[in-house]
Amino acid sequence: MPAPVLSIRQAVIGFEKDNPLLVDVNLDIHPGEIIGVIGRSGIGKSTLLRTIAGLLPPISGDLDVPSAKGEIGYIPQRLGLINHQNVGYNVMMGALARAPFWQTLFSLPGIELRESARSAIEAVGLSDKVLDSISQLSGGQQQRVAIARSMVQQPTLLLADECLGELDSETAKEIIELIQKLAKENNIAIIIVDHNPVRVATFCDRVLQVKGTHIEEVNV
Amino acid sequence: MISNKLGITIDNLGQAWENAGILWSEMFPPDFSVVTERASWSQTKCTWDADWACSAAIHGLVETIEIAFLATLFGMLLSLPLSMMAAHNLSPIWLSTITRQFLAGLRVLPSLVWALIFVIMFGPGPLAGVLAMTLYTVGYLGKLQYEALEGVSRHPLEAARAMGLPRWQVARYFALPEASNAILSQILFMFEYNIRHGSVIGLVGAGGIGWYLNNYLGVFSRYDRALALIIVIYVAVVIIDQISLGIRHRFMDSETHAPRARWREIIPFFTKREV
Repeated sequence: MPAPVLSIRQAVIGFEKDNPLLVDVNLDIHPGEIIGVIGRSGIGKSTLLRTIAGLLPPISGDLDVPSAKGEIGYIPQRLGLINHQNVGYNVMMGALARAPFWQTLFSLPGIELRESARSAIEAVGLSDKVLDSISQLSGGQQQRVAIARSMVQQPTLLLADECLGELDSETAKEIIELIQKLAKENNIAIIIVDHNPVRVATFCDRVLQVKGTHIEEVNV
Repeated sequence: MISNKLGITIDNLGQAWENAGILWSEMFPPDFSVVTERASWSQTKCTWDADWACSAAIHGLVETIEIAFLATLFGMLLSLPLSMMAAHNLSPIWLSTITRQFLAGLRVLPSLVWALIFVIMFGPGPLAGVLAMTLYTVGYLGKLQYEALEGVSRHPLEAARAMGLPRWQVARYFALPEASNAILSQILFMFEYNIRHGSVIGLVGAGGIGWYLNNYLGVFSRYDRALALIIVIYVAVVIIDQISLGIRHRFMDSETHAPRARWREIIPFFTKREV
């Protein structure tokens, strides 16, 4: 078995030392694995992802996460897209971590990066929307843009927070297929937070449930 | 008691009415020869052949617009990086605190006082006006811009930080485009403001139409010509306001109030040709 992409040992996660959200968190995730995290609202699922993403420090414990630039991809709950910009610009943002310094300084992405953006946009089926503003797109199309941005970024670990949101079952199915393709073809480890346990069980390799302050693996 | 200390008396008010009557009689009708006659005593050299082009109103107005344009341009170039440094969501707290204090320092003095300082340093003329209004623009625009940057959603910034991007890339590629419509609107507002204010700083010798106004009100005591200049300034401000409104509409859909993705036209990061 390949070395884990993410390894968490005895971590305590939350905002207050005296009142942590999650304690004794132990987790190993391997390349190509899709992990689903379920649990009721406000229990700490998003905080777990933000801690892994490096946006919040853990209260204690060891987190061995990919540390190189661009190795972690993060799709926040509201997707984190730039609403005042078009699809092309948003997808290209995934390339920033891989682009040489001078290309980012002068906003001149190289041919290879532009090609990868074009392929990603084609793969998510938005070729005809490249110059459309994000605010003009439907919820499902915006999810596709966020996934295309991650495709261009090519992270080793992708964290997706409620990225299936309130999508209808047909659109959610299409997005799930894209996520599975991303994990298998690019060998990316994916942690996806969702509130629907039945849906998560259909496409995740493992499902973790947050109960109280503990995380446990469940068979759904 | 207070009025006694300040020297305000009923006699003052009576005198004011008398003066207002004299001013009124000398102001009307306004003398629009300021738009047609060559002002041979202009502060800067006018090389146009047409007399109207070198008149107090037109030459002064063009100079005021030039001063306002340069001050807005230089002010914007300086305030953009400073506002990114001052925004709490983009910079470490020590840097944002220092930058905010610097911007507040620039706003302490109004542009009129800056103009006085620069007139003493560089002598009367448009250079003093450009420098004075640039400093004021940096202080004012910098504050408006860092507030706009702090108002952007945290989600795109978090996605960028998780990618491991340096602060300048988070600011340049995520925060700035998200706040771009507000920032463009503020720049246009500042340009309008600088044109209006350009006529004031001329009063202390810092160039523009205000210099002519000051001379008509003071040395020449030609209030009819001064009124004509004030009317010209008013008309110019109304026209510029309408042009500015039109430009702002290009960036904002009036029906849906949704911002249009126009930033790519300014910074061509991704164009149609490339896809």
